[in-house]
Amino acid sequence: MAGALKPPPRRLPWMLLLAVILIGLAAGTWGAVKKIDYTWRWNRVPQYFVYKGEDAIKIPFDGRVTDITEKNSKLVVQLRSEDDERVAVKVDKGFINVSQGEDLFQGDTIGFINQWRMGPLMVGLWTTMWLSAVASVLALVLGLLTGLCRVSNNLTLRGLATIYVEFIRGTPLLVQIFIAYFFIGTVFDLNRNVAGVGALGIFAGAYVAEIVRAGIQSIPRGQMEAARSLGMNVIQAMRYIILPQAFKRILPPLAGQFISLIKDSSLVSVIAITDLTKSGREIITSTFATFEVWLTVAAMYLVVTSLMSQLVFYMERRFAVSD
Amino acid sequence: MIKAENVVKIFTGRGVPVRAVDGVSTHVEKGEVVVVIGPSGSGKSTFLRCINGLENFDDGHIYIDGVDLAHRKTDMNKVRAEVGMVFQQFNLFPHKTVLDNVTLAQQVVRKRPRKEAATKARGLLAKVGIAEKEGEYPSRLSGGQQQRVAIARALAMDPKIMLFDEPTSALDPEMVGEVLDVMKQLAREGMTMCVVTHEMGFAREVADRVLFMDEGKMVEEGTPEHFFTAPREDRTKLFLSQVL
Repeated sequence: MAGALKPPPRRLPWMLLLAVILIGLAAGTWGAVKKIDYTWRWNRVPQYFVYKGEDAIKIPFDGRVTDITEKNSKLVVQLRSEDDERVAVKVDKGFINVSQGEDLFQGDTIGFINQWRMGPLMVGLWTTMWLSAVASVLALVLGLLTGLCRVSNNLTLRGLATIYVEFIRGTPLLVQIFIAYFFIGTVFDLNRNVAGVGALGIFAGAYVAEIVRAGIQSIPRGQMEAARSLGMNVIQAMRYIILPQAFKRILPPLAGQFISLIKDSSLVSVIAITDLTKSGREIITSTFATFEVWLTVAAMYLVVTSLMSQLVFYMERRFAVSD
Repeated sequence: MIKAENVVKIFTGRGVPVRAVDGVSTHVEKGEVVVVIGPSGSGKSTFLRCINGLENFDDGHIYIDGVDLAHRKTDMNKVRAEVGMVFQQFNLFPHKTVLDNVTLAQQVVRKRPRKEAATKARGLLAKVGIAEKEGEYPSRLSGGQQQRVAIARALAMDPKIMLFDEPTSALDPEMVGEVLDVMKQLAREGMTMCVVTHEMGFAREVADRVLFMDEGKMVEEGTPEHFFTAPREDRTKLFLSQVL
């Protein structure tokens, strides 16, 4: 019958509705914020990304300025000590405090060097990234081993893996971080970074283990049987047949787990690791720009996690060739 | 070549033990083609899977080239490397190309260098008639083509015996012939084969001996002529009247 086919859905009205809702939400928020007494100071935020820092250059001994020359738009100051020791230092033009032939005492400031430095937000972001990266590797290794133990026929391995997964999934990450730092960290004399990374990695590892287990179990039995019937042992069959196929399937949930890990890493700020969240808190104590800083911190997390999602999306498409 | 003595396999499903294979004794000589037929659930597939250790059996003995599978110290991986198996559902490795499907076990288990394995694989793919598909992934192949790759994959290990577990049951009717042709060719070349199938034509044409199983027991065994013209047992007569 003609007309039985549905017409293609119309997109434009729905996109307009979406835009209206988003604009409405933004306007509502804007109006609500207007009503409270808050002075926005966005101009204070950029200096916490990068700033120009002044380094004082000091003379390491008692001595005299023998010569000042210009080189690559910097000033090179030649110094000679009383024992005829010679040193050359560089300072920026216009930031020099000494003149030729001047006698100086050890520790006197010769001049300044200006350079761009990472602000606390960038340093915090870097800490968050390496913390998450190391914890992810730890989680992947732990999760893979535990996941394999979970599907093993050996009761001991299966029991150990189950206890690990259940214990970790049944307790809050915040409590685990406290235990890792204050209890285990004290007993084994771990520094806060090791405790933080360890707690995050062990936490995510339990979830990765469940993902790995589900992935392995989702591969049809026939694959293992075919591999075994060709004479492969269990390890070979896992390595060449089951895990490559399982990995392709678990990539999306695994990526979700690692994105969660990046976000969960904000909890290590409670054991005084200066990650992005802690940096934000520290900046607020000196600027009182609470709204701006938290919005900025949220946006920075969002950028990192979005980039992760895109990367995984790209990998998924590359793995899809054999489908 | 294969000798089975009083093999028993018990499945315990829902608390009720089922004797899937119930005291089966038989033998397959070198170069012989034995076809196992029987109704669904008669235990013929299970028996076949016992022969290469995909199922453990609960009692009895199976000897392959004199090696007792029931013995605790038997290395099943070594046994399986010598026994080729072709499955109903093909079970090709979907993440590997056709060529890699055929070379993988050669490299991993037989430790053949990649080049040698590929040469052998190409020869076998040509033999089963799909040399031109070596770069494809299995999902791009028809069922008949996949099953022929699976046969090539098993043959690549130079097995002493080939087991076929209903190799044509999952195929569209027009593809059954191409797979049976490959199997017939193998039989003519003197491969020792044990085939579980519902293809009575194949059994009549190729089999040296036909075994009929029902309810886990070996009911009747004999040459195809005997089997299809003058079966002895009532159960066999009934089955044949239903399928022929």
